[in-house]
Amino acid sequence: MSGWLETAFAHPVTRLLTLVTVAALVLAPLLILALRKLGKTSDKLHAELLSRWRTWCILAPLMLGPVLLGRGFTIAAICLLSLACYREYSRATGLFREKTVSLLAVTGILAVAFAAADRWYGFFMALGPLTVSIIAAVEVLRDKPKGYIQRTALGVFGFLFFGFSFGHLAFLANDERYRPLLLALLFCVELNDIAGFVIGKPLGKRKLIPETSPGKTLAGAVGALVFTCGLTLVLMHQVFAGTALDRWPLLLTLGVIISVGGQLGDLMLSSIKRDVGIKDFDVLLPGHGGLLDRFDSFVLVAPAVFHFVRYFGGVSVGH
Amino acid sequence: MDDFKLDPAKDLGLPLDERMKSLRREPELVDSGLNMLWWTAVRAYLGAWHRLEVLGRDNLPAGPPFVLIANHASHLDTFALGAALPWRRRRALFPIAAGDTFFESLPVAAFAAFVLNALPLWRRRGVGRHTLEQLRVRLVEGGCSYILFPEGTRSRGGDMAPFKPGIGMLVAGTEVPVVPCHIEGAHAALPPGRHLPRWKKLRVRIGEPRTFKATPNDREGWAAVAEDLERAVKDLSGS
Repeated sequence: MSGWLETAFAHPVTRLLTLVTVAALVLAPLLILALRKLGKTSDKLHAELLSRWRTWCILAPLMLGPVLLGRGFTIAAICLLSLACYREYSRATGLFREKTVSLLAVTGILAVAFAAADRWYGFFMALGPLTVSIIAAVEVLRDKPKGYIQRTALGVFGFLFFGFSFGHLAFLANDERYRPLLLALLFCVELNDIAGFVIGKPLGKRKLIPETSPGKTLAGAVGALVFTCGLTLVLMHQVFAGTALDRWPLLLTLGVIISVGGQLGDLMLSSIKRDVGIKDFDVLLPGHGGLLDRFDSFVLVAPAVFHFVRYFGGVSVGH
Repeated sequence: MDDFKLDPAKDLGLPLDERMKSLRREPELVDSGLNMLWWTAVRAYLGAWHRLEVLGRDNLPAGPPFVLIANHASHLDTFALGAALPWRRRRALFPIAAGDTFFESLPVAAFAAFVLNALPLWRRRGVGRHTLEQLRVRLVEGGCSYILFPEGTRSRGGDMAPFKPGIGMLVAGTEVPVVPCHIEGAHAALPPGRHLPRWKKLRVRIGEPRTFKATPNDREGWAAVAEDLERAVKDLSGS
């Protein structure tokens, strides 16, 4: 137990972010109540904020817990997240009625988790083209050419973004500093979201892309970019201290990748929701929607950050 | 099912407990897998223990939508009908089950919803009609089939009770074929009140499908459908 505690909290960034999370969860209800007392929040907003806080009280330990517990737990948790997100996506698009495609995509997701757990980088990378080919080929054998493109393309899209893309987060768990790295990444991406909202709400005038997401403003997007670059610079400088990545132009680039990728991922899932005509993917998380509504920002960030970090020497690879 | 349509799940956005009882529920990958395993096991059991014999398989429609109906005197009836179908035709097959028996307690409801793929029909006064209307809409949209027992409950003595007009509300004025079936031996094997089935033979006779396109969708039409199907099942029984 004490051995695990020492390893889990060995890095200062891990200690800091865990503390910040606990403090935020404890202080948030006090702040929400204070705003209520001062008459700053309406009944509706107050209820919404409380509901969001309650959800975070469950969600935050589920996100932090596996990373602190260890590599295997992290990979398992991300695999479950992938499966749940694929489920929400396939139910939203109607793809779930195509059992063969879904079974192949799910098999692909499990294989990605296996490759990450086995530190088998070659297989992990091969799973992208391999799963795509298998889905496309097996669908041919069903001899139902009508709707072939839609079924196959939707299945490939679902696997690549919710299986393969999220799988890069799992493979990051093979890096020796995966605990601080993943926690810092979670923080930067989530705060990027929140910064866009907090800055955009009072300051934003020009809409970013109103047809897709009427709430997003240009000021919010730029504000989030500036904020996240700063946060990334500070946090990742600690995480990568003493490595090739610890140079400010590189860290700044990482910040841009996280902020732009995060915002585009968010908008990508908004486009999907608009296209099929639903508001949220599910009702699993009160105040948020489904898991995909919460983790949409990671879809593009995960592979981009993975390859950036790997290019500069991170992520130890076996085999 | 031809073109692929971007069509969200009909039960999207329902919390789990409401989803189980929803008449719009659509099976997912896990439920479909469980359902397939379940029917494989049921078929093996009925074949081995009850030497299930199925006559008239050629009368079955090629695919959904259709409604299978039969006389009802045992819990084995649903299984016998489901097992009589080739597995391809069991796709999107929903047994209609009594809500008060199968959907009141959580574990039973979870089993009924996610393994049996059953939809609830509440027998309380005034609820049935609304349920049947929703079931009718879903049936006409296509893509699903039902197993239904028009007597409304299991016959205690084994003799067939008069069919209720509910089956008429489901299909009168539509092109959905109804397949009358007769189940022989189920009451002797597992009558109401008995827990373990006896080693008795089961026989399912599948009759020719009937449609009620010209039948008016009103009280008289419903009664006519019920009467017609009751006669069809009786004819199959040979009595």
